[in-house]
Amino acid sequence: MSSESETQAPSQSVGPEYRPATQKPTATVSTALDHENVHILAQTPQLIALLTMIRDKDTGRADFIFYSNRIIRLLVEEGLNHLPVVEHTITTPVGRNYSGVKFEGKICGVSIMRAGESMEQGLRDCCRSVRIGKILIQRDEETSKPKLYYDKLPEDIAERWVLLLDPMLATGGSALMAVDVLKSRGVPEDHILFLNLIASPEGAKNFAKRFPKVRVVTAFVDMGLDAKNYIVPGLGDFGDRFYTM
Amino acid sequence: MTAASRNHYSPPWGDASIIGVAGSSGSGKTTLALAIVASLNLPWVVIMSMDSFYKPLTLMESRAAFRNEFDFDSPDAIDFDLLVDKLSDIKQGRVAEVPVYSFEKHNRLEQTTTIYSPHVLILEGIFALHDQRVLDMLDLKIFAEADADLCLSRRLVRDVKERGRDIEGCIKQWFGFVKPNFYKYVAPQREIADIIIPRGIENKVAISMISGQIGKTLSHKSVKHRLELSRLGKIAEDSPLSPNALILEQTNQVKGIHTLLMDPNTSREDYLFYFDRMAGMLIEKAVDFLPLEPAQVITPQGNVYMGLRKTAEVSAVVILRGGSAFETGLRRSIPDCRTGRILIQTNYRTGEPELHYRALPNNIAEHGLVLLLDPQMSSGGAALMAARVLTDHGVPEDRIIFVTYLAGRVGVNRVLSVFPDVRVVVARMGDDMEDRWVETKYLGC
Repeated sequence: MSSESETQAPSQSVGPEYRPATQKPTATVSTALDHENVHILAQTPQLIALLTMIRDKDTGRADFIFYSNRIIRLLVEEGLNHLPVVEHTITTPVGRNYSGVKFEGKICGVSIMRAGESMEQGLRDCCRSVRIGKILIQRDEETSKPKLYYDKLPEDIAERWVLLLDPMLATGGSALMAVDVLKSRGVPEDHILFLNLIASPEGAKNFAKRFPKVRVVTAFVDMGLDAKNYIVPGLGDFGDRFYTM
Repeated sequence: MTAASRNHYSPPWGDASIIGVAGSSGSGKTTLALAIVASLNLPWVVIMSMDSFYKPLTLMESRAAFRNEFDFDSPDAIDFDLLVDKLSDIKQGRVAEVPVYSFEKHNRLEQTTTIYSPHVLILEGIFALHDQRVLDMLDLKIFAEADADLCLSRRLVRDVKERGRDIEGCIKQWFGFVKPNFYKYVAPQREIADIIIPRGIENKVAISMISGQIGKTLSHKSVKHRLELSRLGKIAEDSPLSPNALILEQTNQVKGIHTLLMDPNTSREDYLFYFDRMAGMLIEKAVDFLPLEPAQVITPQGNVYMGLRKTAEVSAVVILRGGSAFETGLRRSIPDCRTGRILIQTNYRTGEPELHYRALPNNIAEHGLVLLLDPQMSSGGAALMAARVLTDHGVPEDRIIFVTYLAGRVGVNRVLSVFPDVRVVVARMGDDMEDRWVETKYLGC
């Protein structure tokens, strides 16, 4: 599964269409993927700058938390766009009709402990009173396979859309297991949205193969994995940098 | 848009009227000017004293001054070149930094006073009608006259009480310099004055005459300004929406939030929450215009990443009062964002936008991006004025991003026809001239 990526990371001028090429600085952007269920955020200069901050080993904890949260909010906003809406026309304060939409369906968050919990604040910033379930998955020392240790999920999770939270998608071992847990509680595969900051092409591919109906929303797909299955270039251990370092 | 299609906008301070008030020392010029300003009670009628333009003294001169042997009452003591400079800035609606002169130190102080955007400026000083270059800029020339004994006694009281002089020194100055200079330089100004006011502040008739005259000038300027705005509106009506107006992509979330914000049945709590969310999206979209430079960073595992880094700061200017609705959303993305404030009120009688107050960061001209925040743009009058205030303070047009929740096409075009390099980021296009309701609902009154 691990593969030291020999291919060159994609590099391009970043900036909106209307900006002349000379005003677009060059930077490494997300690797493009052609899995239909993987949605990568628009590679705007601002997003690249935010990712640059959190990848930098010299960025302190306070800044790391702040800039991560800014990206997470963008992820949540994009993720919520995949939820269904129904038409809803209202009369505006100036007496005009506006054919708008109403959000439909109940949602909940499920964070994969512990790094996924770092995304809860960003989720709550957009959905105030959202219910949040938790899943603890750790690598078994003997088998080196992921093992489910704990889960606490809303009773009626089968009737909800689930936003599954984990910032780093390397091989996808724990995330795939988390989807299995959700499915075993009756959540339909196409009601699961996986929100993720940085993914590896391998992890995204594993997801597309196992659960083609789960939508993956990610800010950036990196070059690959190293021998220890860490994402390259990645940003180190997200949980450590967010919680303890 | 090419330079040829750029339209000119002249704000009401674009062609300031200047009134000169000259007269003998102690004749009550200052009091007269203050009485005129007080009777009008408008922030755009201001006084500038020629005392601010005394030349800084050399060491020798300064010693003479402390012995009361320096002639402050000769035109040579005044820096007319600097005065003409500042007056012409004010006349053309630019920001003028006026020196502050200390009578204790006989020198200019470090700090300056900023004069910006008066529609009418009253210049008072013994030589207000002396220099031909100044005279050329004056719209009204006034000479204040008073009995010589009265002048001397007023001057004694003022110099001893307010300027820390001793009484012998003052008398020495009066007979050595003030009186001879009066006949030589001050009195001849009488001849070129339009109006001569005897008895200064007690002359209520004269004060109300002049206030009335200024009032007429002001209402003439207001009419001109409104005509100017409607002329730009005509141009804007006939053109399609400018490409520099960027509308937020109408995703399901954006449309869903619009629906909630516009629904009169939405609770205030929900309205605030969803408006803050929308403000956050708008700010993120706007800050994408910040120029960035390539930057290489090393990750904790020692990998290299070629990213981007900002080189300059983003600041914001809130157009009060509505713009303050954006601040919660703004601080979520940029907690330490320097934020200037401008109060522009629409006159309820005339519909004309009026600039009442401004407090901007000092180095605003050097910021990488300045976000101008106002939740709603209808006629675009206030937006135009705010953009003009920023360019007057040296902010390059292409660094100004006007961020708004709701805008009409005519309003947006009106602003962009004058400032084609400004960008407008808007969440939804509404009717032209839609009543302002967005901030009313946010602020609850």
